Amino acid sequence: MKFKQIAILTSVLVFTFSSCKKDTIDDKVFQVENVSLYSSASSKLKEKTESQWIAVVYTNLFQQALSASDIYRAGQCITSIGDKELAREVIISNFMNSTSPIPVIPSNTEMRSDIDKFVKDSYERFLIRRPTEGEKQYFRNEITNDPLRSAEIVYFSFALSNEYLFY
Amino acid sequence: MKRREFIKKATLTAAGAFVAPYILPSGRLFAPSGSQIAPHVILVMYAGGIRNQETVDQMYLTQSQYTWNPIPALNVPGNIMPNMLAGAAPTSKVVYGTGISGNTPISPILTTPLHSQGVLFKEVNAVAAGHYGGSIALLQGNTNLAQPLLDRPKTPTIFEYLRKHGGYKATDTWFLGNSLGNSVPLYNHSDDPDYGAKYGANMFIPGVTFGSQGDQFLKNAKVYHPQNELSPMYKMKYFLDNSYESLTQNNVLDVVGNTEAEKAQIKAFMKNMFLKKQAGSVLQPPVSGGDGLTVGYACEVMKEFNPALTVVKIDGPDTCHSDFTGYLRAIHKADHAVGFLWDYIQNQIPAMAGNTIIIATPDCGRNLNPNPILDTENNFRAFDHSDANTRRVFTLMAGKSITNHPDKATAPISSSSPLNTDAAITVGHILGVESEMLSSGYLHGNSQSLIRKL
Repeated sequence: MKFKQIAILTSVLVFTFSSCKKDTIDDKVFQVENVSLYSSASSKLKEKTESQWIAVVYTNLFQQALSASDIYRAGQCITSIGDKELAREVIISNFMNSTSPIPVIPSNTEMRSDIDKFVKDSYERFLIRRPTEGEKQYFRNEITNDPLRSAEIVYFSFALSNEYLFY
Repeated sequence: MKRREFIKKATLTAAGAFVAPYILPSGRLFAPSGSQIAPHVILVMYAGGIRNQETVDQMYLTQSQYTWNPIPALNVPGNIMPNMLAGAAPTSKVVYGTGISGNTPISPILTTPLHSQGVLFKEVNAVAAGHYGGSIALLQGNTNLAQPLLDRPKTPTIFEYLRKHGGYKATDTWFLGNSLGNSVPLYNHSDDPDYGAKYGANMFIPGVTFGSQGDQFLKNAKVYHPQNELSPMYKMKYFLDNSYESLTQNNVLDVVGNTEAEKAQIKAFMKNMFLKKQAGSVLQPPVSGGDGLTVGYACEVMKEFNPALTVVKIDGPDTCHSDFTGYLRAIHKADHAVGFLWDYIQNQIPAMAGNTIIIATPDCGRNLNPNPILDTENNFRAFDHSDANTRRVFTLMAGKSITNHPDKATAPISSSSPLNTDAAITVGHILGVESEMLSSGYLHGNSQSLIRKL
């Protein structure tokens, strides 16, 4: 009898204090604060360093981080070229040509299945803000009117834009 | 003057006043006031501090080592720059060449040294004693005492004068640097608000651009279709830029203003360089390495773009802080590289052959007295750069319209000596923007084109 009581008590304690807890995404995020979208591009006034730009563009394109040493080496490439915009363009096209890892870019079908969503997602992904109505309309027209317009080229333009150089 | 004639002339004059200041395709307002003496100039920043004693004085070991260690074996004068200077080579204690102990001098490439083709200003006043200050002083035509390291030049560089006032396009001006150190990547333009990046030069630091870093991040660049892909990409980028500019007027970056066509040419050039590198066929002087790499890529750039101004930075001799033997070899190798460059232009770049002027001048000299460091190979004393002897440099000039003259400026350095910063106004004079540079107010007060001193 005494053994039965002890067994029941042990079971209760085990279930009470060591039951499984369901994992949530929040549990896996440590010391990262939620960031609000910019309400407008006008609040972006600080220029990214070359390293910051490389880290961000790599993460945006590949959805994974570049190592610190590679960020440094890619930054040296930009420093070594006089026309910084041209240097950034060559680095982006180098990333776009990567086979391992492969840049994460929607397919043409995915882009055209919901152009408005693609445009909104692109603005949020690269510029951390939502497009204005005028901007939405512009990109909707660009994509709709040109069957050759790919998501890669749209992403390229965002990554090379001046706004992308600021935060 | 008759009334009718007066009215006619007055009308024409008034009409001319409206029409004359037209906007040129480059975006500049006026044509340059001066005419070109030559369409191409190469400015070689010849070394990170070299002493006149081992260069134009041709004293080799006599005034560097023998002075401090007076044994007869070190009393050896001679010329170790056979491509640039006329004069007999040292006859003994040869350590500046290649091979075992450096005992094999590199054969000269030029049958007639530049000295015998053009003119040597022998005692030239270096306006700064450091590498960064000295180098950008050559480009600015002045020195700026408030200039910090790791900061853009404070006043316009020769590249910006040429592009703003001479209408030269971005690919007409190139800077080839040897390193990311010593602020070298900042040489291609100033941060002067009236000039700046939009008038800056194109630039490569070949050891990085085409080195392992370039292999990793530039070499594999995708080649996009110009009409179907690149043009729409630029169009959308410009739309995004316009949206951003309309909201943040004070924060739009200036960039070196390559046109889309120029960008395409540069990207194709880079692609070709990576292919040539893979095939081992990038131009190099016969004895390559170090400054030879920079000079080789400079030749590739000149062959592709035929620039109006190419500036090449050489600084192997800066090893003199701790290795005098290495310094002698670096001077000799840099001379070899300059000989290769000049020979290549004359024989392999038809657009520039016979149409180019070369100017070579150091950023600064070095001290009269050595520091306590002895090099390991020969126990030679090393030299830093900070004393009055550091002010002693030379300027060598040859090429189109520069006939051979006896040496100029042979008297000891004085306030009336030429300045090494005269290189900037000399380039401006050759390429037609001399008066604009002089009237800018930024040049050293004694600046004068060296061609006007011939």
